[in-house]
Amino acid sequence: MNEGKISFEFRSNLSELDKLHRNLEELRKSLGMSKKAIFQINLAIEEVLSNIILYGYTDKAEHLIKITIWDQNRTLNIRIEDDGIPFNPVEAKVPDLECSLEERQIGGLGCHIMRSLMDDIVYKRRGNKNVLTMKKTIEDT
Amino acid sequence: MHVLGGEEMEIIEKRQDDISIFKLNGRLDSNTSPRFEEKILEAIKNGSNKMIIDFEALDYVSSAGLRVINKTTKQLKHIEGMLILCSMQDYIKEVFTIAGFDSFLPIVSTCDEALMKF
Repeated sequence: MNEGKISFEFRSNLSELDKLHRNLEELRKSLGMSKKAIFQINLAIEEVLSNIILYGYTDKAEHLIKITIWDQNRTLNIRIEDDGIPFNPVEAKVPDLECSLEERQIGGLGCHIMRSLMDDIVYKRRGNKNVLTMKKTIEDT
Repeated sequence: MHVLGGEEMEIIEKRQDDISIFKLNGRLDSNTSPRFEEKILEAIKNGSNKMIIDFEALDYVSSAGLRVINKTTKQLKHIEGMLILCSMQDYIKEVFTIAGFDSFLPIVSTCDEALMKF
């Protein structure tokens, strides 16, 4: 996959996470990625997706979340677009790891994990959409 | 020995003396964590306060799983028990380290090591 983009659309429902996992397994095979790399990417995307699904909407309607992935010289780019409330995971408060988890900001731990696993993260608000782009360099297996 | 089936995760529960050992096969994520939490609660209700979670066959964990594990740690501490985690693959262990769990939870390499810590 050279500059070719693949896109997935997810409904704003946690059950869609299974679909994410299956889609990424296909990607792993086509790009020859290590189990560790696909795990980290799956996890980072899941954390962002979960936060959107659980906390991103003020209505009960079903929303769509779009994920686009493309490879640029062994750096995987992952763009996640949603029409939820403005939320910037790049700046979400780093959880205090010394205190109890209940005191942590909701969603904080997921953001922290995502930020630790990805090489680069950029957030933009475009109109009514959150656009998050993450980058991860894929080492050779 | 119970085997709790499910699409993405299987939980195998064993007892050794008064220690409950949960072996997780598959994925511990937003979808499967609630079921694991129920299983733990059930074990606590049945008088268990010493637990080991064996991660040897687990190939995925997310913050949802971490939350259940953190909650369990607190619950067991409250009833003077303990939780020990074992046999993690390196990229799974890394998530626990990122989350700072290694500062309050024993994470060891093998189940035998975990048993010896009780």
